[in-house]
Parts: sequence; C-alpha cells; structure tokens
Amino acid sequence: MKFQIPIGPQHPALKEPISLRMTVEGEVIRDVDIRLGYNHRGLEKLAEQRNWTQNIYLTERICGICSHSHTTCYVQGVEKLMEIEPPRRGVYIRYLVSELERIHSHLLWLGIAGHEAGFDSFFMYTWRDREVVMDLLEMISGNRVHYAMNTIGGVRRDVDTALIQKILDGIKILRERSEFYFKIGANEPTFVGRLAGVGYLSKENALALCAVGPTARASGVARDVRKNDPHAFYDEMPFDLITADSCDVLGRTVVRIKELMESYKICEHLLKTLPSGDIAVKAPKKAKPNEFVSRYEAPRGENIHYIKSNGTDKPERLKVRAPTLANYPATIEMLRNGFIADIPLIFAAIDPCICCAERTVELVNARSGEESVVRFSDLRTLAAKRASNRTAKGNVPWPL
Amino acid sequence: MLKRLTRWSRIKSPWILHLNSGACNACDIEIVAALTPRFDVERLGVLLRASPRHADVIVATGPVTRQIKDRIIRIYDQTPDPKFVVAVGACAMSGCVYRGAYNIMGGLDQVIPVTAYIPGCPARPDAILDGVVKLLGTL
Amino acid sequence: MNDEQILEIINTRFAGRVRDVSHPHARRIFFAADPKDLPAVIAGLKEAVPGMWYIATISGVDLGETFEIVYHFGHDNGAVNIKTRVPKAAPHIESITSIIPGAVLYERELQDMFGMTIERIPDPRPLITPEDWPAGNFPLRKDWTFERVPEVIPGGKK
Repeated sequence: MKFQIPIGPQHPALKEPISLRMTVEGEVIRDVDIRLGYNHRGLEKLAEQRNWTQNIYLTERICGICSHSHTTCYVQGVEKLMEIEPPRRGVYIRYLVSELERIHSHLLWLGIAGHEAGFDSFFMYTWRDREVVMDLLEMISGNRVHYAMNTIGGVRRDVDTALIQKILDGIKILRERSEFYFKIGANEPTFVGRLAGVGYLSKENALALCAVGPTARASGVARDVRKNDPHAFYDEMPFDLITADSCDVLGRTVVRIKELMESYKICEHLLKTLPSGDIAVKAPKKAKPNEFVSRYEAPRGENIHYIKSNGTDKPERLKVRAPTLANYPATIEMLRNGFIADIPLIFAAIDPCICCAERTVELVNARSGEESVVRFSDLRTLAAKRASNRTAKGNVPWPL
Repeated sequence: MLKRLTRWSRIKSPWILHLNSGACNACDIEIVAALTPRFDVERLGVLLRASPRHADVIVATGPVTRQIKDRIIRIYDQTPDPKFVVAVGACAMSGCVYRGAYNIMGGLDQVIPVTAYIPGCPARPDAILDGVVKLLGTL
Repeated sequence: MNDEQILEIINTRFAGRVRDVSHPHARRIFFAADPKDLPAVIAGLKEAVPGMWYIATISGVDLGETFEIVYHFGHDNGAVNIKTRVPKAAPHIESITSIIPGAVLYERELQDMFGMTIERIPDPRPLITPEDWPAGNFPLRKDWTFERVPEVIPGGKK
C-alpha cells in the first residue's frame, strides 16, 4: 500500500521553500520526488543587465549563510577575466573572512543537527558560540551577514593590529568550545545512536551522483576544491582534507567538526603571517571577450561560477551552481529505504541552508482519502523511542 | 471583561509563524537567532509555531516568487483572525536586489496585506525584536 | 594527473573529434566537440583521467543563432570544460546520464531555461520554472523579454 506524502513548500523549518513528495509504504520511504522552483529568482537574467561591480551585490544575496563564498567565487573569476592580480594582503583578508564564514556555518549546522536529533540544549549552546564569530565578522566588516568585503581587485576594508588580537582571542575561546562539542558528540550515547546508520550513501553512489562537500567527504570521497584546485595562495595554508568512512549522518557530523578545527588553524596562520601592503588594485570597467570557470569551496560544497564577457561592462553570461543543488540526487538516494521519522535528519545532514523549528507532515491515506497532520515533534519522539529500543552502540571509537 | 483578557493575552504572548517566500535565508537565520540565548525573544512570550492555525503573527521574508504566491495566499487564509503580517527584510518590502526579475512579484504587499515592515538586509535580530515590540504596542 | 598529461590524452586519443584545445589558465582546459562525438569523448575521458567521474554543471550560452553548451567536469587536479554547439532552430542533444547519472538536474535546467530538447533524458519535467508558467517562454534566451507587472503601493499613489 503506497502513500504519497508531500512535505513543503512552507514548513516551519527555516529552509528555502522546497517541496518533497515521498512515496511511502508503511514507514519506509520508497521514492522521493523533489520539486524545485519556489526559490527561483531569475538571477542569471538579472546579472546580464548589471555591470561587474553591481553583480557582486547580486551574487552576495544568492545565499545568506555562504554569501561570502559566492562573492569570492565571482570576484576571483572576474579578476582572472580582466587579468588583474589582487595584492597579497587583500587575498589574505578575503580568505580570513571565508574561513570565519565556514566556522559560523558549521556551528550553525551543528545546532540544527542537534535540534533535529532532539538535543535542543546543544542547539542553544552552539548558537550562543556562533555569536562570538558574528561579533568578529561585524567588527571586520560592519554587518553580521552579507559582509560586502569583496571588490574586484581586492577587499574594501582593512584589519588593524587591535582587531587581529581580538580575532585571535575569539578563536581561542571557540577552539575550547569546539573541543567540548567534540567530546559530547563522541561520548553521548543517545546522540551517537540517533545519528549512526541514518542516511546511508555508499561511495559508488556518491561518485555516480556527483555529490559535493561534507556529504561526499563523509562517504570517503577525497574531494575538496581547496586542495584539488587551489586558487591563489590556498596551497600555502596548513590544513588537511578531512574524510570519514562511515557514509552516514554521524560521519558528516564528524567531518564538519574536524573541519572547524582545520579552519581555526588556517585563520591563525593567516593572521600571524599577514603581509603588509595595499588591499586592492584598481579594476577596469570593461573586460575583453574572455571566459573563465571559477570554483570555490563553500561550507556546503563546491561552488562553481562560469563567467563569460563580451567586451562591455556587463557580463555576457553568468552561470552559478550552488552546492546544495548538486547534492539533491544524492539526497534522493539517501532517503530511499529510510524511515519517515528520519526525514528531517537526513535532509538536514546535507546542510541545505536550514534552520529549525517544528515541521508539519501531512499524511494522506490513499484508501480513505482522509488527511491527518502529524507534527515533526511527534515524529521525533517516535524516532527517539525507536532508537532507544535498539541496542545501544556504546561509545564509538574516535576518530572514526 | 473577556475582551480585555483576550487582548492582554494577545499582547503578552503572540505566537508567530515563520514563512520563507523564496529568500536567501539571511533574514530567516536572523529570525532564528532571535530565539537563541543572546537575543532571546521567548522572554517576550513569542513562540515559534508549526502550523498557521496556531499563529497570531505571520513573519514573512523573501521576495515572493510566482511559484509560492498561491501557497502564501492559502496560508494567509488558514490563519485565524485577528492576524498580523510582519514583512522582514528589504526583499519582503520591495524585492531588494531582485526587483524586476521575471519570477518575482515585488514584495509581500503585492500578495497579502502587511501590518509592519522591518527594513534591513538582513534585518538584525535587535531590529526584529524592536519591530515585534512596536507591533504589540499598537494592539 | 597534471595538465600536460591530460592535453596529451586529448590530442592523441580523440584526435579528429576535438577542436580548439586551449589551456588559458593553470588547471583549466577547454576544448570543443561535435554533439554526435560527445558521448564517446566523455566516456573515454572518464575512463582515462582519474577523478573524472564528477560533473560540476552544464551551462548554456545563447549566441544568437546557435546555443553553446559547456560541460564542466572536475577531476583530481583541476577542471576540463567541453563545449559543443547546437543550432537554435533545432536544439536537440543527447543526454549523458547514461555515462554520468548525476547530470540529470543540469540537463533539466537546460530544457527549462533555453528550450532545448535533451533526448533520452530520464526525467523530462521542468526543473525551476513555476507550474503556471506559460509554455514556450524560455527566460535565458537573449531575445526573451518580459513585461513587468506594475506594482500596487498599498495606501500610496497609484
């Protein structure tokens, strides 16, 4: 007996409105259909009518959590098109803001994972620490989100020594707190038991469906644009590529927490070796006909911008592919043969710019046509009950 | 007497429904950040609810895309009276940078009647709190 | 595998089927192929270059009389981009999902935004245009314009 359950587009979970239609049999999901289009804002057409500098502000507002990644990817591409090279200090400040953004995004995600697994205190703790990063970003750029730091040819604002010291202090506090979260994540048997084995994506499927970011890295795929295709000075930064082999949501959590530690290392290296000099060079208004493919590692995966110019001051074509879109075929695969109660956790594990509150799932009984509304908190308690009936996995040996 | 009681309970404890009509999520994250320990909107009695039928205030973000327009109207109709709509962020006010795109209606007030506007891109949690308090003050 | 080795493979294995091989920046290779040779070239590259299982995206460019389709692949050390052209009057091209299953969403987007027809695509539904979108309107074509509905300012001047 197959039912079709629609989830979305409006649900109290804070994500981009997206509609998922699940065909279920009992409690097991057999098939998923993802309908996009609720968030389609016609950006690529708009970008052809604005000049190179105005497009920075347009690309910034593609996503609110990884806004700096989109501008960095775009500006890197345009600088290569115009054949100008930004000064070293500018690039270092740009990467400093990128790594701070990665830290804030991963802390945000940890809070969501905690909330979806039923661990609300974890959510409140991580978001309180995220405020430390938001304050640092506000001191550097003036805004908590959408810090318009990039300009073609460099960055717009400088950091002075007092600010550098504040950032280093902030990172020290965050590092201690992250190690505390690492311990909780590793030793809390209910948390681990809830996340382990959920949302399985085998390595072959991750390769065939072209997954990106921590979703792919948790299945053992060693792909990170910062290592494979380093732009400018990323190959001089001391950090490791983190992978995990467990192919499930627990692996993704581990990958993200370890990436936090690597980001702290990169930030400290950038601050301690910040060269002196200018922060930007002057950019021409028009670009010769040329094209470039710009790739960048956003917190969620690989971001790719294809930019083509035709000699005027407006781009001929700007194509943007955000990382979450690349993970959708992989999500469909992960949701198959999973349980309804695991839907919020699996969908949150690909990190689709979510934030959280409760969600409603509407069940349509195919035989009688009656509708009943089930709250996700009920689904969550169901899942917690089911998880507590399973044999406890005990303490998982770390590192995975 | 009963009217005073209901009016007092509405002011002291407005329940909100959060609606994202195609936004970039920055305003949405700021709305959720308003619930976290630093800004803590729950001390004002505000609770984030799942269903439109439980809500007093609809807090909406995002420039309205064509695809979600009908759903927004349906949700607005499902919310029981008296209801208030708060448009958060520059996108919900007039479309922000997306003004003029083919898929955008151009702000929330083209679709449903709006009571309060909170500007900003994104609107800071302090601004959202300020807006909610001012809305309650007019009740 | 670095750029020189990949250029070597392209020039020897697929000689005659590729044109305009260029290496404008470090770790970026561009070349062009005909639509009928495309599946064979992609399958050959996937097998010859390690890490070439990954397609980043497929972009369409409207050049007036023709559409140019660019397939962006990423391998372990950079990106290889394959261009192909189809005439605007008959925009048909074959799907590559038999070689790389993850490309289905990008091909659906090409159908949506440009009006191309991708043959043997596993899922031909439109991807991002709304359900009530009038047929025959392809937003990313250069000659497509739209009339913006004038806004009503509530309580303000009409």
